Amino acid sequence: MSLPKITRLPSLRLLSSIHQQQLLLPSITPLTVPRRAVIQGEYRRPGQPKEDKFPWQKIKFDLTKGLEGIKKHFTLLKSEFSDRWVGPEGKPIVEHMLEQNRVVWEFRGPESLEQWTVSSDREIGGQSEVYLKLGKNNNTCFLYGTLSSTPPRDGETRYSGYCTMRSKQALASFDRKMHYDWSSFNTLHLRVRGDGRPWMINIAAETYFSHQKDDMYGYFLYTRGGPYWQDVKIPFSKFFLSHRGRIQDDQHPLWLDKINTIGFTLGDKADGAFQLEIDFIGVCKDYAHTEEFAYEVYKRNPEV
Amino acid sequence: MKCSRCLLQLQCVSLVGHSARSAARCGALLQTASSSQPSVLHNAQHQVLRLFHTSPACAKSEHIPAEFDHENNKKRDKSLITHDDLFERVAQEAKTKATFNKVVDVFTKRDIRRRGHVEFIYAALKKMPEFGVERDLAVYNKLLDVFPKEVFVPRNFIQRMFNHYPRQQECGVQLLEQMENYGIMPNVTTKVLLVQIFGEKSHPMRKYQRIMYWFPKFKHINPFPVPQQLPEDPVDLARFSLNRIANDLDAKVTIYQLPCTDVTESGQEIKLPHIVGIQSPDQMELLAKHNPSRPVFVEGPFPLWLRRTCVYYYVLRADPTPPEEKVEEPYDPERCLDYPLQLDLDLDRDLGDDESFDVEDLDEGPVFAMCMTSQGDQATLNQWISGLQQNNPVLGQVPTVFRLDTGPRELQGPADVESGHTRRPEPETQTQEGPPEEESEEEELRRSQRMK
Repeated sequence: MSLPKITRLPSLRLLSSIHQQQLLLPSITPLTVPRRAVIQGEYRRPGQPKEDKFPWQKIKFDLTKGLEGIKKHFTLLKSEFSDRWVGPEGKPIVEHMLEQNRVVWEFRGPESLEQWTVSSDREIGGQSEVYLKLGKNNNTCFLYGTLSSTPPRDGETRYSGYCTMRSKQALASFDRKMHYDWSSFNTLHLRVRGDGRPWMINIAAETYFSHQKDDMYGYFLYTRGGPYWQDVKIPFSKFFLSHRGRIQDDQHPLWLDKINTIGFTLGDKADGAFQLEIDFIGVCKDYAHTEEFAYEVYKRNPEV
Repeated sequence: MKCSRCLLQLQCVSLVGHSARSAARCGALLQTASSSQPSVLHNAQHQVLRLFHTSPACAKSEHIPAEFDHENNKKRDKSLITHDDLFERVAQEAKTKATFNKVVDVFTKRDIRRRGHVEFIYAALKKMPEFGVERDLAVYNKLLDVFPKEVFVPRNFIQRMFNHYPRQQECGVQLLEQMENYGIMPNVTTKVLLVQIFGEKSHPMRKYQRIMYWFPKFKHINPFPVPQQLPEDPVDLARFSLNRIANDLDAKVTIYQLPCTDVTESGQEIKLPHIVGIQSPDQMELLAKHNPSRPVFVEGPFPLWLRRTCVYYYVLRADPTPPEEKVEEPYDPERCLDYPLQLDLDLDRDLGDDESFDVEDLDEGPVFAMCMTSQGDQATLNQWISGLQQNNPVLGQVPTVFRLDTGPRELQGPADVESGHTRRPEPETQTQEGPPEEESEEEELRRSQRMK
């Protein structure tokens, strides 16, 4: 190996070949298919480190929290006992049996907003924003924000752009789960005023197995837009089952005896500001509606 | 010497396996090494090149530069084409369906084994919106046709049991998912292709069956349908959206002003915005009954979304009438003789038949009229009010207050609304002007609407 030959060796060219390699790479691994695990954990953003904590390390032990908790939980317990004497769910038995409709959520003042949580694709690194406040005359809830469907640049997430408002899990005393029992009703009744965008209503019911915890029943809520309120009645039989955003093959009707939460989701891929005003959310009994389930349950949808 | 060679070799392996950034770093390292230990470098360079040549990442492009000959160098520039590159080259000329199809044709004719078709399809799927073919079923079928036929069909039960050719199946599912996202329903050709490519019970076939099950179910559930192609003309668009939000078949759309450009005496060009309003007979009746001592408000702009387009409208409304002024008007029993408007039957209903819904309606004040205009400043809206006055003479006596938000895109809280409006008794003396940015936003909006 002679020295001049070596000096002639173009290191630039070597680099240029590497540079071409760089151009090649993105087309080789264009997509990553989400990994499927047997045990589904919480959503963790790509690149986020795993939290290395035991579950009991996340609990806050605090004296003030304890005192407040005692007060809150014992008042709840007391009302639970005294309500039992009046009748089921604190209502007289005649009223309970003849109940045709019930307003479950209404918005009367700032404390009613505390039953709701809002979230957007900020959690997965997106750029949507969502806010919740009371409407003009403090009688409605006004959900607004901007939707942006730019996916986060983490190389894994392919879609983005959603905004959600979801009711919090109702809790009885000592943080026991409390469920809504809507089994005597068959229709969801809302009064909303939107801006023409389609929304999705998601209802989560209590499930038995832990792998069903992300099961949700959803249906679409189309808004008209304009200055007038819009009464929407959606029969519960139309709600279809989805798991983590994917419609399931074997569908089941929604069991109304243990309803946990209700949510409103926007994800129509139209970037820009949105608003939705909700007057109340209730349930009612529609005698004209006799359908039990709108989708076939007698066989798997793609036949095996 | 040997040790350093091993080290370099290791680095080269990582270079092939890892991202290009590390490769660049490695190259830099090599460069620094070249200054210090030239002889080592020479050996190592061959190693690097050989590894480059056999690396799996580059397997699909055969023309990786292997030698530093000048002849080869020239050839390389011509022959090294990645799939993204193929699209980008064509995109320099024109981005149309024809050129897209041409690229697909070029790829299918180049190699009988269709080497690298998965990568090609992924690249094509990514480029589809750029070429404007993302809603074209024929193009999707053509892309699906790129897959070689009958190669990925499982032949025995073991293949059928396990995921046969997973990368290819994932790619097929991905293609169908993109169709699903754009709302394209596959047809029989797609099904035949999928059966030919992947077999009867493959994952893409399942995906196809799911789409064909759910799509027709949800095809027509929107009670307020919006056409796929919105009218281009802003006046037509305004008419469509006003009819949509008015929710009244009796409502009448009036065009107060058509868009036109005017040239004044001084040579300035003035663009006159369009003003389209809607009012129903009920609203006129309400306005006629309005107490003239109470002001009416022009509010807006409020957004309305029609698929991807956002338009803005303004409303003429009043505050809710106080309870002491409310008059319960009994129905005139002779207003309609065929169908009595009021029924007072005592049907002896059972206890369980009480279906009244005891949520009182929110009283937000009546809405008298709505309008859409391309320019939401006060002068334009005044023109609308004066146009309304021809049919509603009450408006001449009623003070009109303009409560216009600052910008159409900006959202604001109730506090801003309180402080933002000025109350003036006479419509002529109003001073609140829409800030200039609002106009520019409106202009922008109009332009974007035109483009759509």
